[in-house]
Amino acid sequence: MRIDQTFDRRELLRRAILLVGGTAIAAPVELFADSGAKARFFGPAEYSLLEVVADIIMPRTDTPGAIDAGVPLAFDALMKNWASRERQEQFRALLKEIDQAAREQGNGLLALEDTRRAEVLVAFDKSKNGDRVYRKFKELVLTLYYHSEVGATQELRYEHVPGRWEASVKMTPETRAWAV
Amino acid sequence: MFDAIVIGSGMSGGWAAKELTEKGLKTLVIERGRHIEHRADYTDSLLPWQLPNLGMVPEEEAARDYAIQSQCYAFTTATQQYWVKDSEHPYSYPEDKPFFWLRGYHLGGRSIMWGRQSYRLSPMDFEANAKDGHGSDWPIRYSDLAPWYDHVEKFAGISGSKEGLPQLPDGEFLPPMDLTVPEKDFKARLEKAFPGRRLIAGRCAHLTSAQPHHLELGRAPCQYRSLCDRGCSYGAYFSSLSATLPAARRTGNLTIVTDSIAHSLVYDPKSRKVSGVRVIDANTKQGRTYEAKMVFLCASAIPTAQILLNSACEAFPEGLANRSGAVGRYLMDHLYGVGAGGMYPGFGDIYHAGRRPNGFYIPRYRNVTESGDYLRGFGFQGSVLRAGWNASQPGIGVDLKAKLRTPGPWMVWLAGFGEMLPRPDNRVTLHPTRKDKWGIPIVHIDCSLGENEQKMLVAACEDAKQMIQAAGAAVLYSNSESKGVGLAIHEMGTAHMGVDPARSVLNKYNQAHDVSNLFVTDGACMASGGCQNPSLTYMAISARAAHHATEFLREGVI
Repeated sequence: MRIDQTFDRRELLRRAILLVGGTAIAAPVELFADSGAKARFFGPAEYSLLEVVADIIMPRTDTPGAIDAGVPLAFDALMKNWASRERQEQFRALLKEIDQAAREQGNGLLALEDTRRAEVLVAFDKSKNGDRVYRKFKELVLTLYYHSEVGATQELRYEHVPGRWEASVKMTPETRAWAV
Repeated sequence: MFDAIVIGSGMSGGWAAKELTEKGLKTLVIERGRHIEHRADYTDSLLPWQLPNLGMVPEEEAARDYAIQSQCYAFTTATQQYWVKDSEHPYSYPEDKPFFWLRGYHLGGRSIMWGRQSYRLSPMDFEANAKDGHGSDWPIRYSDLAPWYDHVEKFAGISGSKEGLPQLPDGEFLPPMDLTVPEKDFKARLEKAFPGRRLIAGRCAHLTSAQPHHLELGRAPCQYRSLCDRGCSYGAYFSSLSATLPAARRTGNLTIVTDSIAHSLVYDPKSRKVSGVRVIDANTKQGRTYEAKMVFLCASAIPTAQILLNSACEAFPEGLANRSGAVGRYLMDHLYGVGAGGMYPGFGDIYHAGRRPNGFYIPRYRNVTESGDYLRGFGFQGSVLRAGWNASQPGIGVDLKAKLRTPGPWMVWLAGFGEMLPRPDNRVTLHPTRKDKWGIPIVHIDCSLGENEQKMLVAACEDAKQMIQAAGAAVLYSNSESKGVGLAIHEMGTAHMGVDPARSVLNKYNQAHDVSNLFVTDGACMASGGCQNPSLTYMAISARAAHHATEFLREGVI
């Protein structure tokens, strides 16, 4: 079978999954990924920064975090497949700015210890809460996480076919939010 | 030679096709867009993590090809296939009067993209023009349409509650969707603070309980997924694809041609009737003509005017059936984008399950139970639901994760839909020089809001804020400006019904005053718009017109 080069890998995989299994089999996120760093939008240093930042924004706790959910790779894919040139430049600059904020604390973000990294990001988040580019960046990281399979089903809850509308359900402090 | 040709397969065309074929008429439906297969072509099986780009259409593609369509709330990668490319389907408007024309060209038209809110017009609405002198007096009254509302509600399946409100007549309802506890609380507080106002469950075209005649067509009850914009594989909401076209098909009297763009109607000066429809093949650009004993124009308000104007001939130099000069005029939408929202206090120990594809409705009260310093009025759609995770929450890391794990506060919002007065200057014309790639003159849309609308926008916003505050909730945002004419996606009025052939295009049977075998039953026929979502009225009017047209045909009158 000749595979059209323009055919979307993700769609191919989705169809393959549907063929063998029916519905939502957990596909390891690596399967969706392009085979190497070469095909990524972000350069290796930028990508490492993105990983660290995503991990600090949404860390692994008793449930998986952003890295487990494949957020950095999916974010990179968004840059290639969704973002305008302007947006790409904004996010490139944002990562640089975060790294610069770390340098003002002594060293680039990647070279800092974990606790120092988190401190830098906490301060950055506070100072940038009104900044459109940062807010969009954070929104994308969070959406990629909560709409990922682990984010939607392990951290939060998702039902594709609820089959009912219950206008009032008693809840406890442990009740999790719906992902969608 | 067909008995009838129906141009358009959306909300109105689907109904015309169903009624005509069920009465035994050999009917051809002409659809300009491609075939869409119910279920197979829908994207409602996609899980959140399968949605390309989180549902976001690539920014440069959206700007290049969907500059207008991307302004709609429902424009995502999951629905992109339904929206036209603005770059392929241009139209023009004066630079200072943008008009947002949102469209889907495919079998089923916008009936698979609609908001599904379903309200009857009321006696008051049919009398409005006569009373205040704007537009033409409707040649029908509520009582003429009431049995047809019954008829279409039963078939379509409309969920709602009987409320006994004169300004929003009850219908043949399936069970309503429950209000949340805070919504009931809001209702109680609101109705106490403003005794002339009512908050009711939204009325929507969803099967809350599928009846045998729904099941027969392969329709199933609503699953509360709120993936409606993608098309519903359960057929739980009414569309041409889930309901009217399957019903028409099973009669054996239906023929559908897709990818066939109606260019113009053929007028025969000898018989003084239309004899057929000229179409252009969307793919090959070849022209051909279909003939029939009568034509139902259901292309939606703007294209219906375009087709009539483009059918100008010796007998009708200003456009077919346009001796009145009203074709293209009196374009209306609803005021849209006005309202307010806020945080609703309390109720921290309850949540909801399932995604209700509906909300509540506050029927019009201005110039009904309370006065306003403007003509006509507005209604509100809204809801009080618990917020999910909120990306704009400050903070990061473990603390943020813990915070977003639990449901957010209850949020209330009210979205106003206001009536636009019918004004002759709000007008669709053919562009004098520009043509689309099929050689058809593009439309020029010149439409703006008047003083009455501007007053109403301010008032609706103020009312929304007051109602939220009356419930003890804090207003977090409000808007008193129109988001843009067209964005309510309720285009109406461009070939309106009226008593006087010198002022209006259609008579009380939706029959063109000037051409006896031509009927228009889409939004173009509306003499006024009310403030209610209009689709249910198009359905009832289409069914009614099909009934009368068939009788005329049988009696040999047309």
